[in-house]
Amino acid sequence: MSAATPRLAIEDLQHKYGDRPVIEGLTFTLDAGQAIALVGPNGAGKTTVLKCIVGAAEPAAGTILLDGEPIDERSEAVRRAVATLLDDLDFFPDLTAAEHLDLLARAHGNATPEDLVDTLLDDIGLLPAADQLPGSLSSGQRRRLALATTLVRPRKLLVLDEPEARLDVDGVRWLSERLIEEKKSGTSILFASHDPALVEAVADSVVTLTPLP
Amino acid sequence: MSEPVVYDPADFGAIPTPRALRKWMRETRRKHADRSFGQLFEDVYLVIFTLAMLGATGGNVVKHLNADMATCDSQHCWRLWEVIPYILIPLLVATTLRALVSIGPVSGSQATGFWLLGTPVNRSALLRPTYWKAMAGTAVLGGLVSTVAWAVLGSPFTSLVEVSIVTTALMICAACVTVWAQQAERRTWWTLRVADVLLVVAAIPAVWLAVQRFREPQVQFANVILYLTPRYADEMPARSLQDFRVPLIGLVSLVVVLGLVVWTARTLGRLSRTSVIAGGELLAGLAGAASSLDPSMLADVVSGRHWRLRGRARTRRGRGSEGAALIHREFVRILRWPRRLVMAFALLVVPYAVAGAGFDPLVPIAAGFAGFAAIRPLMDGLRSVCRSKGLVRALGYDLRELRILMAIAPGLITVVWALAAYPILGSGAATFAVGAGAIAGAVRQASARPPSYAGPLVASPMGAIPPGLFSQPMRGFDVLLICLAPVLLGLSSTWLLVIPGFVLAIMFSLRPKTD
Repeated sequence: MSAATPRLAIEDLQHKYGDRPVIEGLTFTLDAGQAIALVGPNGAGKTTVLKCIVGAAEPAAGTILLDGEPIDERSEAVRRAVATLLDDLDFFPDLTAAEHLDLLARAHGNATPEDLVDTLLDDIGLLPAADQLPGSLSSGQRRRLALATTLVRPRKLLVLDEPEARLDVDGVRWLSERLIEEKKSGTSILFASHDPALVEAVADSVVTLTPLP
Repeated sequence: MSEPVVYDPADFGAIPTPRALRKWMRETRRKHADRSFGQLFEDVYLVIFTLAMLGATGGNVVKHLNADMATCDSQHCWRLWEVIPYILIPLLVATTLRALVSIGPVSGSQATGFWLLGTPVNRSALLRPTYWKAMAGTAVLGGLVSTVAWAVLGSPFTSLVEVSIVTTALMICAACVTVWAQQAERRTWWTLRVADVLLVVAAIPAVWLAVQRFREPQVQFANVILYLTPRYADEMPARSLQDFRVPLIGLVSLVVVLGLVVWTARTLGRLSRTSVIAGGELLAGLAGAASSLDPSMLADVVSGRHWRLRGRARTRRGRGSEGAALIHREFVRILRWPRRLVMAFALLVVPYAVAGAGFDPLVPIAAGFAGFAAIRPLMDGLRSVCRSKGLVRALGYDLRELRILMAIAPGLITVVWALAAYPILGSGAATFAVGAGAIAGAVRQASARPPSYAGPLVASPMGAIPPGLFSQPMRGFDVLLICLAPVLLGLSSTWLLVIPGFVLAIMFSLRPKTD
C-alpha cells in the first residue's frame, strides 16, 4: 500500500431498493486515523452506505476500496480488518457478557484475552454485569456490550451505525473519548449519527446525505 | 391553555363486571371487522377440507394399524402390550405438566396484563375464559393423543374407550395441578420435579424393554403366545358387567375431573399478573414460529426463554484461539444446560427398546430419529450465528467455516452416541449411517433460514406464501432419511458409507444462505 492510498475509498456509490434509488454518486475517502460522520435525516441512506461497506447490502454501482483493494466481506483479510456495529447484532442467549468478549477476542486470534476483557468490561461499565446472560441485560447494557464487541478485536476500520443510540449521557461521553483514542491509535472510523455533539467531537469531516426524491 | 382535569369520585360509577367488559370489547372489535363470516369461510374452506381429508386418511391408517396389531400373535407384540402403558401414561402426564407449566397454563397478552389485569375488575372472572380454553384444549389434545396411541397398540374398542377416558382424565387433572402451581414459584418448582420423576418412571419400563434383547435368546414362543393372545377376552369380566364398565369409568372420571376443574377455577384470582403475561409472551412467540412452520424457531423461543429466566451464569473463560476457541466454547455451552445432554444419552434407550420389543427392521430408523432428537438441541450455538449476520461479522469467520467449527463439539457427542448405539445396530457401516444422518440432519435444521415474507411470494389458494414454507418442517429430516435409506433398503456396506459420507461432504462444503 502506498502512502497516498486511503484506508477506505468510496467512488460513485449507488444503491436502490427495488426501482427507488437511495444513494446516488456518493464519493469520499477516509484515511488512517481519521473519522468521518455520515449525517442526515431518517431515510437518507446512512445505514445503507454502512451496509454496502460491510457486505450486508449489494451496491447497484460504484466501487468500495479498503487499502486500495475492492472490499469483499468473504475475504478473511477484510473480516479481520473491519469491526462493525449495525443493528443486526444478536447475542448467544447462553453466554454471559464476559464470555461473549472472551470468545470474540479468541476467535480473532488472541489466546490470552482475560486482562483485555476485564479492562474493557470495566471501561465500558459492564463489569458488574459480567456474569449476566444477554436476555437479562437492559437495552443500554446490550448496546454497550455490542460496542465492546468491536473493541475487543483487532481493527483497522470501525464501521458504526448510530453508536450513541440507547446510551446514557455518561455512556455517550465515554464513547466520544474512546473513539478519539481509537483515531490516535490509527484506526479509521466511519459512523452514522444523529448526535451533533458526538459528530463535533469525533469526526474530522462530515458527509451529509439527503433523501432522494 | 385548557383547564386542568379535576378528579371527582362522582364521575366514576360501579366497577364493571368482567362479562360487561368482554361484551364491550367484543362489540368494539366487531365494529372494526372488515370481513363477514361468509367471506372468512371463503378463505378458510380449503384449510377445513384439507384438515378433514388428513383426519380421514389418518383415521383410516390408525384403524388399519389397530386391526393389524390386534391380530398380532407374536411374543414381541405381547411384550409391547405389557410394557407400553407404563411408558405412555407417565410420559403423557409428564409432558402435559411441563408443557402447561411453561405456557402458564392461564396466559394472556401483554395488553391484557397491562390494560385489564391492572384494573379492579374481578381477576378470577377475567381469566376464566382462558382457563376453560386451556382445559378444553388439554381435553381435546389429550383425548386425541391417547386414543391414537392406544388404537395403534391394537386395543379393542371397549378397552380403547376405557383407557382413553382414563388417560385424558389424568391429563386434565395434571392441567389443574399446573394452574395450582402457577400461583406460587415454589409450587411450580415442585410440579416440574414431579414431571421429572414421571419421566424417570417412564424410562424404567423402556430400559427393561431394552435389556430384554440381551437377556433372552431369540426364540419364538409361538404356542405360548397363541395361548395368551385372547388376553382381552380372558381379562374381560362377564358380559353384563362389561356393559356398565365404560359408562362407569366415564362417569367416575367425569365427576373427578369436573370437581377438580371447578375447584381450580375458584382459585384463579390468586394468579399474579406477571405469571399470566409470561405464558402469553411465550405463546405469542410460539404462534409466530409455528406460522412459519419452522421447528428451529420454535426451539429458539423455548431456549431463549430458558436463558432469560436464568438470567446469570458463572463466566467460564475460554481456551486457545481462533477455531479451537470456538470449539471449546461450544463444549462449555453444551455443558451449561446438562439436562439436554442427559436427555440426549437417555434417548439411546429408544433403539434398544425397539430392538427389545423385537422390531429389528425399525431399529436403524428409531436410532436415526432418536439421534437427531438427541443432537439437535445441542446446536444452539450454530443456530445463533445462522440467524445473526452481525454475530458472524463480529466473529470474523465465513458462515461456512463457522458451521463446521460449531458442529465439531456436537459432532463428537454424536460419535459417542452412535458408538453407544453400535451394539444394537450391529454393524459399523449402519452405525456410521445413523450418526451421519443425525448430525447432518441436525446441522441442516439448525442452520435453516426462516421463510421470508419480504422476498418473492408464491400465489396459493390460502394467499401469498413464501417459497419453501411447507418444506420447512421437513428440513433436517430429509437428509436424515437420505442417510438412512441405504440401511432401510438393505444395501451393501459400501453404500452405507458412501451415501451418508456424500451427504456430510455436501452439507459442510456449502455456504448456508442467510437472506
